[in-house]
Amino acid sequence: MLIKKKWPTFIILVCLVLIFVTACSKSNQTSNNPASIGENGEVDWSQEPEVTLNVFSVLANYAGPQPGWFAKLVKDKFNINLNIIQGGVEGRVATQMASGDLGDLIVGMGGKDYTDAIKGGLLLDWTKDDLLETYGKNIMNFAPEALEANRQQYGDGTAIYGIGHSIGSGDGPSEGAEMTFGPYLRWDLYQQLGSPTIKTLDDYLPLLKQMQELQPKSDSGKKTYGFSLWSDWDGEFSTLAKVTAQFHGYSESDGFNPGALILVKADEPDYQPILDDESYYMKGLKFYFDANQMGLLDPDSLTQTFGDVSNKFKDGQVLFAQFPWLTPAYNTPENTAAGKGFALVPFEEQNIYSSGFNPYGGNWLWSIGAKTKHPERVMALLDWMFSPDGIMEGFWGPKGLAWDLDDNGKPVLTEYGLQAMYNGDTPVPEEYGGGIWSDGAGNFGKLNNTTLALSQINPNTGEPYDYKLWTSELTRDPDPVKKSWQDTMGVLTDKELFVKNNQVAVSKSFFNGQAPVEEPSDIKLKRSQVGKVIKEYSWKMMFAKDEAEFDSLKQEMLEKAKGLGYDEVINWQAEQTTNTVFTIYK
Amino acid sequence: MQVGPSQASTSTPIRERFQIKSKHWLFLMACPFLVLVFIFSYLPLGGWIYAFYDYRPGIPLSKSDFVGFHWFTAMFSNEVQRSEMVRVLRNTFAISSLGILTSVLPVIFAIMLTEVRNASFKKIVQTFTTLPNFISWVLVYSFAFMLFSVDGGFLNNVLMSLGWIEEPTNILASNQHTWLAMTLWGVWKGLGWGAIMYIAAITGIDQELYEAAKVDGASRFRQIWHVTIPGIMPTFFVLLVLSIANFINNGMEQYFIFANAMNMSNIEVLDLYVYNVGITGSNFGFATAVSIMKSFVSLFLLFLANGLSKAVRGETII
Repeated sequence: MLIKKKWPTFIILVCLVLIFVTACSKSNQTSNNPASIGENGEVDWSQEPEVTLNVFSVLANYAGPQPGWFAKLVKDKFNINLNIIQGGVEGRVATQMASGDLGDLIVGMGGKDYTDAIKGGLLLDWTKDDLLETYGKNIMNFAPEALEANRQQYGDGTAIYGIGHSIGSGDGPSEGAEMTFGPYLRWDLYQQLGSPTIKTLDDYLPLLKQMQELQPKSDSGKKTYGFSLWSDWDGEFSTLAKVTAQFHGYSESDGFNPGALILVKADEPDYQPILDDESYYMKGLKFYFDANQMGLLDPDSLTQTFGDVSNKFKDGQVLFAQFPWLTPAYNTPENTAAGKGFALVPFEEQNIYSSGFNPYGGNWLWSIGAKTKHPERVMALLDWMFSPDGIMEGFWGPKGLAWDLDDNGKPVLTEYGLQAMYNGDTPVPEEYGGGIWSDGAGNFGKLNNTTLALSQINPNTGEPYDYKLWTSELTRDPDPVKKSWQDTMGVLTDKELFVKNNQVAVSKSFFNGQAPVEEPSDIKLKRSQVGKVIKEYSWKMMFAKDEAEFDSLKQEMLEKAKGLGYDEVINWQAEQTTNTVFTIYK
Repeated sequence: MQVGPSQASTSTPIRERFQIKSKHWLFLMACPFLVLVFIFSYLPLGGWIYAFYDYRPGIPLSKSDFVGFHWFTAMFSNEVQRSEMVRVLRNTFAISSLGILTSVLPVIFAIMLTEVRNASFKKIVQTFTTLPNFISWVLVYSFAFMLFSVDGGFLNNVLMSLGWIEEPTNILASNQHTWLAMTLWGVWKGLGWGAIMYIAAITGIDQELYEAAKVDGASRFRQIWHVTIPGIMPTFFVLLVLSIANFINNGMEQYFIFANAMNMSNIEVLDLYVYNVGITGSNFGFATAVSIMKSFVSLFLLFLANGLSKAVRGETII
């Protein structure tokens, strides 16, 4: 009787299992061959069925479906909708990795995460089924060395799992018209004070004090400050204090190893442990401490986020900018027409850090998820982003809207483009996707990564990709602030000024056919614990009441950091850099 | 007096069959919940295995290195490391103790609320005090930032324009009274919500007891003291014992959001520490090891509280 009763249940169970199994296996049998192949073997991707691809971007500052003109562009060309997954949030990469599926296109993931993903079988090998050969013609054409580097470093000489960012070749700085760092001052106030010469970084402080006295209130009547900092981008240290190192030609990464706690000189075999008495990081802390003593540091620096700072720049509450991208918020057409705006004012001792061209690609890699159902379409999309047309349209919008080619085939900004490039709120015509310009704008929309370096020459036009470097733009009548700056300095762009004054330290690309040595877990734990201490004490030091408190906090920080294994982390990182990047100089 | 089970069973055999059946029924009814408890409370314990491996997300355990008790010893490996653990535990215990001390506040609030005669006023007060419970900590912080920020914050603006202070004070980036401040935010957020349970308990008290007290000539205060408070004591004790077991888990959201470099040394509770070191630095093995230690401490505290309850009140909850 018992057996009789159990049979039906058993049969139902078996049926259920069968249903699940068949359901699973069915989903794996999607065809990989595009249906619409044209006459000369070219695929018309816009005729393919509509799909939504999950883009896992570690660099994105946005989550959700890609909006605006970039979405329309990709939809029209590839019939693809992009769903952006924001991977930069703390712990997000780990969760996504643990789930075993990184999405269809992976943007900006490098370092240990990248090697772990390969080990865990989460990334697609581009050489499988000739995927790269068939659909990646542009990548192979424009970035062969980067592909080869990836094959040797990460693919045991056979497989290719991804490709680096900002690929380019040539000498000198790889940046466009602007460098990555400043410093920028309020040009109008600086001139009113008689443009005094600035010898060292510390010379900015008395100058800013005078500027603050000259302009005590912002546009909306709030108190002005020399500096307004934010802490929400901090990793193992205070990011803003670390920028001091970049003003002097040092960076927290040697460009090859992940690094973090040693500051490496761009063009010499020299490094500074971050907490050394003489390190530029400690100088940065002292600099902001002095600024705070003089009433130049925004007291909200610690508790506010980057968004708040951006609004303060917009309002004219801040007089000093560490990065060029902070300034457009204030340099609006209205402000510059009134002669008010930020401009680059370097100090005499400055030696700005610059990333040289890297034919092997940077560490923000592009890769494809192993579980994608449409490898060929992801590859085609990626390939377009490596093509000259793809870069022009991905950055500056569809041809004919914001930019166009003149009679000589040279790129120019249209009337619309002149508006849109300086004001993200410019509405976009419905036929181009509607909304406002900034919805679709960015580095390939919200993906926020580069493929080829923007200062590279576009073979189709003979001009760089970056619109700020187009002849048409360089010769255009600049706004009054820029005009005044150009007349005073005798150059057209920021980069020219640094190059003219011989103030650039250009890093060299390094490649030895091997991946960087993996950080042992022990070192990793110590690094994150030490980093926590450094971050915490750095802010305390900047806001210390007096010199004595500053010094005692510094002592405390050193003791704690050393107790948590600071020396071991420094030794390990220094060893890696000495064994790899420093061998260039031998 | 007592009717033994044997007596009952021999007298009515039909009843016996019914009894067994009802036992099965009860078990069946409890089954879904047992399954849920198993899935959500016991199954995750399998994750403890990560504490013994050098685990990195994406790579299966079978390919990870076995490290034994390495992560456990790492917690106490040297002087500074130990003092870090002590600091974190001190914060945890301090904030939890303050939390337990303030757990009488919802009781007082509930009693006062039920004593309010005006029904509509009572409803308004209850709604407004319950509401903060549903506001996320992120929003609470942006609210706090508007109130207390140095540059244009409401409080500083008011005090400055009244001429009471010369320089704006930075309340959010201060290391003073962090524990107290955190507890107060917690009370503000949870007072109304915490009172609901007690209001229900008060409603459940037999009205005849109040009438009897009135007849005996008890004043309103006496009624509260001799009827209401004893009536809600069992509820209070159950919640107290449970909160003692949760002594070490004071959550992390609130502290994570309010934390900054200035108050970090006093605000970093155990859960936030695990997050900062474990999740942010993706040291999952270490984070798991700390959590395991935490579970054991919790278990110990639960039995301690239960033992105390037994000694003091002669009642236990487990």
